[in-house]
Amino acid sequence: MATPAFPTSFVPGPLWGNGPTPGQVYNFPGAATAPDQWGTQRTLNPSVTTTSVLAVKYKDGVVMAADMLGSYGSLARYRNCPRLQKINDKTILGCSGDYADFQFLSNIINQRVVEEECLNDGFSYTPPGLHSWLTRVMYNRRSQFNPLWNTYLVGGIHQEKPFLGYVDKIGIAYEADTIATGFGAYLALPILRDAVEKNKKMEEKQAVELIDRCMKLLFYRDARSLNKYQVAVVTKKGSEIRGPIVSEANWEIAHMVKGYE
Amino acid sequence: MEAMAMMPYQQEQTNHIERPIQHRFSPYDFNGGTVLAIAGEDFAVIASDTRLMTGFSILARDVPKTTQYTTNTVVGSCGFHGDVLTLTKVIQTRLKMFTYLHQKEMDTSSVAAMLSTVLYYRRFFPYYVYNIVAGIDTEGKGCVYSFDPVGSYERETYRAGGSASSMLQPLLDNQIGMKNQEGAKQVPLAKAKAVALVKDVFTSAAERDIHTGDAVCIHVITKQGTTKETYPLRRD
Amino acid sequence: MFLTRSEYDRGVNTFSPEGRLFQVEYAIEAIKLGSTAIGIQTNEGVVLAVEKRVTSPLIEPTSIEKIMEVDKHIGCAMSGLIADSRTLIDRARVEAQNHWFTYNENMSVESVTQAVSNLALAFGDDDPDPGAMSRPFGVALLLAGIDKDGPRLFHMDPSGTFIQYDAKAIGSGSEGAQQALQEQFHKSITLKDACKSALTILKQVMEEKLSATNVEMATVTTDRLFQMLSKDELEAIIKDL
Repeated sequence: MATPAFPTSFVPGPLWGNGPTPGQVYNFPGAATAPDQWGTQRTLNPSVTTTSVLAVKYKDGVVMAADMLGSYGSLARYRNCPRLQKINDKTILGCSGDYADFQFLSNIINQRVVEEECLNDGFSYTPPGLHSWLTRVMYNRRSQFNPLWNTYLVGGIHQEKPFLGYVDKIGIAYEADTIATGFGAYLALPILRDAVEKNKKMEEKQAVELIDRCMKLLFYRDARSLNKYQVAVVTKKGSEIRGPIVSEANWEIAHMVKGYE
Repeated sequence: MEAMAMMPYQQEQTNHIERPIQHRFSPYDFNGGTVLAIAGEDFAVIASDTRLMTGFSILARDVPKTTQYTTNTVVGSCGFHGDVLTLTKVIQTRLKMFTYLHQKEMDTSSVAAMLSTVLYYRRFFPYYVYNIVAGIDTEGKGCVYSFDPVGSYERETYRAGGSASSMLQPLLDNQIGMKNQEGAKQVPLAKAKAVALVKDVFTSAAERDIHTGDAVCIHVITKQGTTKETYPLRRD
Repeated sequence: MFLTRSEYDRGVNTFSPEGRLFQVEYAIEAIKLGSTAIGIQTNEGVVLAVEKRVTSPLIEPTSIEKIMEVDKHIGCAMSGLIADSRTLIDRARVEAQNHWFTYNENMSVESVTQAVSNLALAFGDDDPDPGAMSRPFGVALLLAGIDKDGPRLFHMDPSGTFIQYDAKAIGSGSEGAQQALQEQFHKSITLKDACKSALTILKQVMEEKLSATNVEMATVTTDRLFQMLSKDELEAIIKDL
């Protein structure tokens, strides 16, 4: 009697790992999945992320800055992610958090700006208008348990005065003279607040220098940051995005830092 | 998870790999803030601090949590700031619609009743907001209504709400309610005394509660309308 | 009017070239076939009085109801197609209770009238709102009540138009009754006199002999709010006429 060619206890493994189960659709990590016994799962965690945005109001405008790194977890994955956006001559937008979500919303905002422009009625989105709209969008998404994983800063000029507003992924919103998101809230914000408090009528040059200093500081201390960044400035005369600026770092004393290994 | 359950083989392979930290999404936050309201004979005082916080960080130092709803109604709302903003907007549109429909301003008691229904309609996904309504009732007397986040409410003569409420309320019980005192007589509260008391208790709250500080915004409501003043608190 | 009848009669929402909505005008005509109803506003309160047409001795007179309570502080008298008024009264009651539920205060008489008139206007051929009909309502209402502004009397017709009155008569005897009201009404009339006037005028315009069984009367006053008059109370007034 012939014996089997191989033991009957052998069970073949799946055809391939990290791919779709044959006959099934690939599920991207974090993407929406078909409803299962727990209901529909949605993006409840960020994937490609960006770090701090800093912004400060000065005498005749607003300065905002953000670096250009897109991190994939701890991996410095993309090094050219612009995330400051000129909305119009009076409004700028800065974003931190999930980069894909920013691109998604950015496209929507751009489309709306174009549609508004087409009306050619002399009106355009005002900074408080955009800020309020963003607050509603972010709050509605969080209420549907499908948040946009971002924090947005809106800067601009409204009724001749500088405007600076904050909105986050659960719909917290406020206006302030100085705002920093992410790590910047811990490392840069105290410096920004101190500078503004001591110099209530700050000039543009001083404000930009202040922001530059804070960006460098963040590069030294925030592991998810990059020394390549953009700066957006908005005044009565208009808005512009400068950069990429590469700040020169000095690591000479780095070898003296000991005891954290 | 679903894919994992179907492929035990794959799970075995990946189980030993440390997963990145998962940020679980929470739709709520607590942004600090304390509100306090006192009803007098013909006036009401309502105050809130102006600090906005998340965790141990100060987001902003000049965000009052009081909103004027009608000429003689001011509401203090604190808790999750996203809900505070949304709720106040919802109430304000409802008030506007009411005036268009009924050609009159809403009474303070009606603002309170409506707020209660608005809150209760979100019973199973609540607005995480503690509200206190202060104003003048139809008889011209000062009134205060306090709420829980799902709409339970009652009329009171004084109430503290929000992060330092557990420190302020017993103090008010003693100073205004004349509680736990022997032979203390209930005397009508003067407007100036109420305002001074508000400043004192907020100064004390700012000493002990990290979520309270920066400044206190005080509204005094009378039949003639409301006045507003801001009084500084410690900023650390 | 009846001579100009044309295809514009058909669509309830079609204007005639002269700018008229015939179906609405016909509905207003229908009121003039209804029994007479009178409302008088005084400083103390409002009185509503209606005639009941007891056309057969076999009718149980109390089953004819032409004055109804909308809320504790609002009453309503009607003339025309009484069945149509059910929908309107229902809406008025729901709106009044909803207002109380949300705002913890009595709804004003004007707001209740406004709410009812919104429904009266919602007729149309296609895709009607819930509760609305394909034709105009064939009933006119006298809404009487007490609110913050004191006693109030409103009249609403099938077109949804509503106007506040000191005294108003609707129904078949309305022309004569309105004339009589104009003569008898004065700003300082007492509620008692108003009740008497209302019945006197009804007596004049009614075909049958007025009695406690073929009229209905209600008052809305500050202290007692909506109150239907009992047979005894009616008889007491009739005795004095």
